[in-house]
Amino acid sequence: MIETLRFWVIVALLGLGVLFTFVSTVGVIRLPDVYSRAHTASQTDTLGAGFALAGVAVAFGWQHAAVYTVLLLFFVFITNPTAAHAISRSAAETGVEPVLAEEGEDGAETAGNADTDGESR
Amino acid sequence: MSNDGRQEGDAVAVERLLVPLSDTVTVRQTVGYAVQSGLEAADSLECHLVVAMPYDADVPQSDRYSDDADGLLSRAQNWAEEDAGGADVTIETTTLGADEYLFGPRDYAESFDAYADEHGIDRVVLDPEYQPGVTAQMLQPLERELDRIGLAYDEAPVDRPARRGRLNGGPEGFDRQFATFLISYGFYLLLGDPSYWFDLVTGAAVAGIVAISLAQVTFTVPPDRVQSPLRVVRFALYIPYLLWEIVKANIAVSAVILRPSMPIEPTLTRVNSRVRSGLPLTALANSITLTPGTLTVRANNQQLLVHTLIPGARDDLFDGGLERGIRFVFYGRKSAAIASPRERDDAEIVGGDEL
Repeated sequence: MIETLRFWVIVALLGLGVLFTFVSTVGVIRLPDVYSRAHTASQTDTLGAGFALAGVAVAFGWQHAAVYTVLLLFFVFITNPTAAHAISRSAAETGVEPVLAEEGEDGAETAGNADTDGESR
Repeated sequence: MSNDGRQEGDAVAVERLLVPLSDTVTVRQTVGYAVQSGLEAADSLECHLVVAMPYDADVPQSDRYSDDADGLLSRAQNWAEEDAGGADVTIETTTLGADEYLFGPRDYAESFDAYADEHGIDRVVLDPEYQPGVTAQMLQPLERELDRIGLAYDEAPVDRPARRGRLNGGPEGFDRQFATFLISYGFYLLLGDPSYWFDLVTGAAVAGIVAISLAQVTFTVPPDRVQSPLRVVRFALYIPYLLWEIVKANIAVSAVILRPSMPIEPTLTRVNSRVRSGLPLTALANSITLTPGTLTVRANNQQLLVHTLIPGARDDLFDGGLERGIRFVFYGRKSAAIASPRERDDAEIVGGDEL
């Protein structure tokens, strides 16, 4: 009973991991520029790897190796934003123009958006 | 350049300093040192903050350079005023070399010298990382040229991230080493087997070596005996909250991506965060990037330039939940209850030219 439950928990976790990795892949293909792609690329690392490693931890059960998966996740969570920031920052430094939404009905609640209209397209 | 009339006021001891600025990690400390040392030398201080324009100042991007220069100058002026407190400090800011062609260290030195003659400068305070424009680092050649010209200069003693420190620095040094030892020993035992004597012994040896050799690099700020362990505990409390935010944001972004119409609304926003530079700011910027939908593109001191993908993520950012979390981790529960960036007018949507 417990074993079947555990089996299905593992399957569900891995399935979720695959799902978010898939979504992230779709996002990288569909989104318009490097900045927005960086958003979705980090999904693979956060929830994709997160769920997959959680599945691995459950599969290992209560033993030392499960600690490693948590550690692994910890380092992924530190390196992922660092890499995303490095990519977007170097894009900014080399002058890649972000594709920005037209200032529309939304976002009018903040001050200082008057200076954006000329630039966004 | 409006202070020619001030030079006859030498009856009162006035120290006049020239501080060339460039956008480096140590520029803040250089300004701090200049103000402090100037006030030690004399009762009142005249601090000339200058930015020397790089040699390619007349190419089409020159507007951007002069904007950068103006930004740096106004920031530096704020710093200097902050450091001055109530003391008698006059701050002049200007840019040099806008009308000439500064190429090598000699040009810079001569430009500084001309300015120094004009304004009766006593001393130049140099940033050790000084690097005007896009040229390579030029502190040493610049110092040689200043020697040749005979302009007195002083190199600001700053803490650099990769500074080579002393091995023993009193109680602070011990704290650093002890904390480094604990962290590395704990990590070693986490990877190894804490109940096996061999791992315990080798771990202690390795952690000892790491602590002695790397403690200065590990902590730029010495750890506090009470606060630092508390911060670790609060950080452990912060992790579930961060994970929950990540899951929420992931679902929101996934929904947008999978929708055939893909209703994204990319914007670039600027948020002035209320956390200290260094580790707290890094933690905040990383948390922001870790949640899909918000991405930190730039971090200049407390100013974060964040790219947001969907309006929901932007609203979350402007509500400042993560910022409160980080303030909770580093400063405790009381400081966590601050107004959101939106309420205190520290968040705005900016255009792409801000990059």
